[in-house]
Amino acid sequence: MDAVVSTAKLNSNEIFDLMKQFITEVIGEEFVEEMDITMESSFTKDLEMDSIEIVSFSEKIKAHFGEQIDFTGWLSNMDLDQLINLNLGTIVNYIEECQ
Amino acid sequence: MPIIEVNNRGVHIQELNKGAAETVLLVHGMFSNLSIYYFNIAPILAKHFHVVMYDLKSHGLSERIENGYDLNSMTDDLVDLLDSLGIDKVHLGGYSFGGLIALKMAARFPRKIKKLAVIEAPDPNDDKTRDIIDDYSREFLEHYVMNFTNTTKVKMGKRQMERNHRMYEYLFHETSIKSDMILEKEFFSDAEISDIQQDTLLLYGANSNCLGAGKKLKNKIRAAELLEVNGDHNIPIQEPVSIGNIMETFFNNG
Repeated sequence: MDAVVSTAKLNSNEIFDLMKQFITEVIGEEFVEEMDITMESSFTKDLEMDSIEIVSFSEKIKAHFGEQIDFTGWLSNMDLDQLINLNLGTIVNYIEECQ
Repeated sequence: MPIIEVNNRGVHIQELNKGAAETVLLVHGMFSNLSIYYFNIAPILAKHFHVVMYDLKSHGLSERIENGYDLNSMTDDLVDLLDSLGIDKVHLGGYSFGGLIALKMAARFPRKIKKLAVIEAPDPNDDKTRDIIDDYSREFLEHYVMNFTNTTKVKMGKRQMERNHRMYEYLFHETSIKSDMILEKEFFSDAEISDIQQDTLLLYGANSNCLGAGKKLKNKIRAAELLEVNGDHNIPIQEPVSIGNIMETFFNNG
């Protein structure tokens, strides 16, 4: 089978910017403007994303990276404490490793 | 995020492992959404099954609808969803209000349901269930968040609180959900419950206020098995891996 040509490998800054874009699309620009989103920002505590917003965010990652990243599978191995404390940096690292 | 049109209404669905031979369909509870399954329970079931989750009307990312929250309408919605996905028969799982929808589905459309898993379905005639619907207010939500979500460790921030408040306000004041649910109070006494023939797994929290409802169903449904899981009404959040594994074994056997 022919190899699928994947999108160019992103570095961590580019992944971070992409994640910020996804978060803005999910929760809306007006909320993001008031926030200082950093690699340390946690999804539930700092970004105040609720579970259905995290579903939308996960779907955006799946749609963008396709088969190369099993984002839901990765999340499903976390317990509730890990999910609640999950921060943007951990996700950026995971995606960078998977590419 | 797929929003599909079912009867000209937008319904948010999520599917995993589309190619599998058998389908498990999961129904969430009132004031909740499909995320209750999405992160743990659905991926476990998707090891063997095609899994379909959907947001009930006015919940999650599905379209807001003013009417039709009685169990007949909710199961009509579910049949329409199955038809639009081209699925003939499913294993069905439902949590809380979704458990009532699952029971009604097995009673009304037995040909479409293989096995039935009911998680923490409350007795609609229980005062505590009705009080929640009768007494909603902003104070109720704040009290609820302070006192009940502590068993799930999830803290709500200001924006989430506002979002939830708007959803409750809409459902309680602009839809027929209250009056529709009151009409269902005799549901557990109806003969159709005793007529359910499917293998039925009843999953309840050992410390749940709803455990009595599980025992009642066990006595009424011929092929029912009742399993108590550590936790209270929030067991899908407290013990998602156990719930996923128990459901997977149940749907897989036989």
